[in-house]
Amino acid sequence: MFMTLKKHMLAASVSVAALLPLSAAAQEATFVLGTNEVGIPSYNLLTAVNTNTVYSMIYDNLVAQDSDLSFHPYLAESWDEAPDGMSWTFHLKPGVKFHNGKALTSADIAKFIEMFRSTESSYMVDAIEKVETPDDLTVKFVMKHPDPNILYNLASSFMGIPDPDAVEALGDDYGITEAVGTGPFKLESFTLGQETVVVRNDDYAWGSPLSANKGPAKLERITFREIPEDSTAFLELKSGGVDGLLSIPTDYLKDISSDPALSVAPIPGQEVYYMPINVTKEPFTDIKVREAAAYAINQEEILQNVFSGYGAVANNFLISALPEAQIDPAVNISFNPDKANALLDEAGWVKGADGVREKDGKKLTVSLWTQNDSVFRRLTEVVQAQLKAVGFDPQIQTFDSSTIRDQYKSGEQQLAVRSYFWNNADIVDWFFGGDRLGYPNVSMFNDPKAEELRTKAMTGSKTGEERTANFKAYHEYVTSQFPYAPIYQPPQNMAYNKEHITMPETLHGTSITGVVMVDVEAKE
Amino acid sequence: MLDYLIRRVLLLLPVFLAVSAIIFLILHLIPGDPVDNLLKVGSGPDARAKIEAKYGLDQPLIVQYGMWLGNVLQGDLGTSIITRRPVSSMIAQVLPNSLMLGGFALLFSSIMGIILGIVAAAYRDRWPDQIIMGGVLLGSTLPSFWLGLLLILAFSVQLSWFPVSGARGWESLVLPVLTIGLGGMALVARVTRVSMIDAASRDFVLLLHAKGLSPARIRLRHVLRHALIPVVTILALRIGWILGGAVTVEYVFARPGLGLTLIKALAQHDYPVVQACLLMLAIAVMLGTLLGDILQALMDPRVRSAMT
Repeated sequence: MFMTLKKHMLAASVSVAALLPLSAAAQEATFVLGTNEVGIPSYNLLTAVNTNTVYSMIYDNLVAQDSDLSFHPYLAESWDEAPDGMSWTFHLKPGVKFHNGKALTSADIAKFIEMFRSTESSYMVDAIEKVETPDDLTVKFVMKHPDPNILYNLASSFMGIPDPDAVEALGDDYGITEAVGTGPFKLESFTLGQETVVVRNDDYAWGSPLSANKGPAKLERITFREIPEDSTAFLELKSGGVDGLLSIPTDYLKDISSDPALSVAPIPGQEVYYMPINVTKEPFTDIKVREAAAYAINQEEILQNVFSGYGAVANNFLISALPEAQIDPAVNISFNPDKANALLDEAGWVKGADGVREKDGKKLTVSLWTQNDSVFRRLTEVVQAQLKAVGFDPQIQTFDSSTIRDQYKSGEQQLAVRSYFWNNADIVDWFFGGDRLGYPNVSMFNDPKAEELRTKAMTGSKTGEERTANFKAYHEYVTSQFPYAPIYQPPQNMAYNKEHITMPETLHGTSITGVVMVDVEAKE
Repeated sequence: MLDYLIRRVLLLLPVFLAVSAIIFLILHLIPGDPVDNLLKVGSGPDARAKIEAKYGLDQPLIVQYGMWLGNVLQGDLGTSIITRRPVSSMIAQVLPNSLMLGGFALLFSSIMGIILGIVAAAYRDRWPDQIIMGGVLLGSTLPSFWLGLLLILAFSVQLSWFPVSGARGWESLVLPVLTIGLGGMALVARVTRVSMIDAASRDFVLLLHAKGLSPARIRLRHVLRHALIPVVTILALRIGWILGGAVTVEYVFARPGLGLTLIKALAQHDYPVVQACLLMLAIAVMLGTLLGDILQALMDPRVRSAMT
């Protein structure tokens, strides 16, 4: 009965829909921003602490990064790096104009870099001593010290190029009422916490080689909506209220693939789940106990049972796409219960009658912290069981996700389950640097040799290859000291209604950026 | 009556002071130092002192409270840490949405609740009463978060009558109003029924029957008037409650409003915004109670005389 009713309703909605396309025929689309992108206060790069997908619609970068993490021309047609790494010269594409009609020149880039020095993300330009502008289309960065990572920073969403004069002129209103970039779309309206509407930049003719379409975008108008609740966003997609979700939780993959109108597009993953181990807290001051805890984690079981086989296991700290993740396979950490048991025996922890190990009358009871999001709670319970199997007695403590950072700063944690979101090897420095104990360095790891390798990796590399080698060595050494156990790399996906829009077959970007969006088309 | 009004308003002052002190203190009692979230990771004690001075956090607590209260009374709710905009303008932007949602939900729950209550009382212990009271029990126990998703599934996904989420036009208002209103309706219906039955058993009703008035006339013109006094009190109390109860509903339906602002601010440790939202909710409860008392006094002379 219910099914027939549903069919009737479907038939009715189809006939209504057949009348609608007259208005929907225009090249328009509505996307829902990922839940972690909700609540952007403005589109001003210079005050931003977070950015969202819309930034890359409004602003173009000097260079673009592909999904394989390689760099490609964008606003800069080409660039030269001095052999000693002490200067970078970028040649700008001619004929590029801002949304307000002003032509982009090297002076704008120079002014922007200077303005960027006072932002939250100023570390990105720290290595630049000064910016020279030999002519209108040439920008030369004179470096304090070599920084091969400058390309990564220039390609990041924080460093899209705004019109620095417009930023100054508009003051506090900049990024809310108006935002001026060179991107394929112009900001039309922005309602805080609700939606952002962008319209096509018809003058656009400087698409990156990563886009098939070098001219103006195919879509005339895009609405980006903010929906904090995943299930609501999913129902919007299912009911046709929106055309795509820029990020979907793994839980919905099955439902979406079973719906004939919907399709899933994988986006390069950037997230890694791991278990930090506090090296300053008994019994984890003993490297054997840390090692045992790390080898007790069954990554494959977690992948299959907690995440239904979607994604990949993690065997070290970095996403597999990074060259720095290809460390010596012997150092990689994967499930080895025999080794875990043997190490604990060696360390003097003997299994008691209840399966919990003991040493000098003390039980191997440890705290295991997590945050209250459902995926973390579920995962942490499995981790708890796996640790129990080799003789730990982990006690789960749950904190709400906004206060757990403050708790980490106390340094009282022993084990924790958490994740990070980044696609550059410098994340090892962020989470294991000796000057950030507590948070972000949840493991309280401060090792002289690691610090030496860290300095070398962060500031001592002249070229990209050298930096990769240095970071590999740093990452490898940190992993060999077991301040963490790797767990899981989730897949990242967007979902869209294939009856409404066409996505490019392969995504050439680290996420759904402007480079990708110029190729997206609405079906008429 | 004017006397009563003045006295009642004056009574709100100590309540307001107490509430504001609690709201101010809550944020100093929860774990985590707001300054930590403002500092760049790895910055030194100088930067910390500077930020503490900027937000007045280096002053003693009582001085901080005085400064904050003084600003609040002048309508200055501070500047949001995350968005760097005046909090009062953020609140002003979302408050109409919340008031509209809350207002319609209150209207829906009072009208439907009173009608259902009257019907249930009229058919006391017979099948219409049992059906209504059964439905009411269900309605009052469903969590609004879940009810909202169920309504979306039925009316937006299956029937496509209303949009799933957002705040565009009256269509997007229907489901959130129903979600909040159903819970309130249940409460109002129950109270109306009980109080109708109670009022109907009083002596004056017997007299009216003896005078030969029609039962329907007695019920609607005389009994209902008495029965509504507790109902009005309940409704007035719900004014504040509805604004607060809209928090989860705004979240599910992605409707901009006070609740959504509060949740986001909490997650981002945006203390000035959290304080302002809580203050708004508390003021709504206080004004609701005030309104309830005034209405009650207007409807019931006994209350007025008890106060003077």
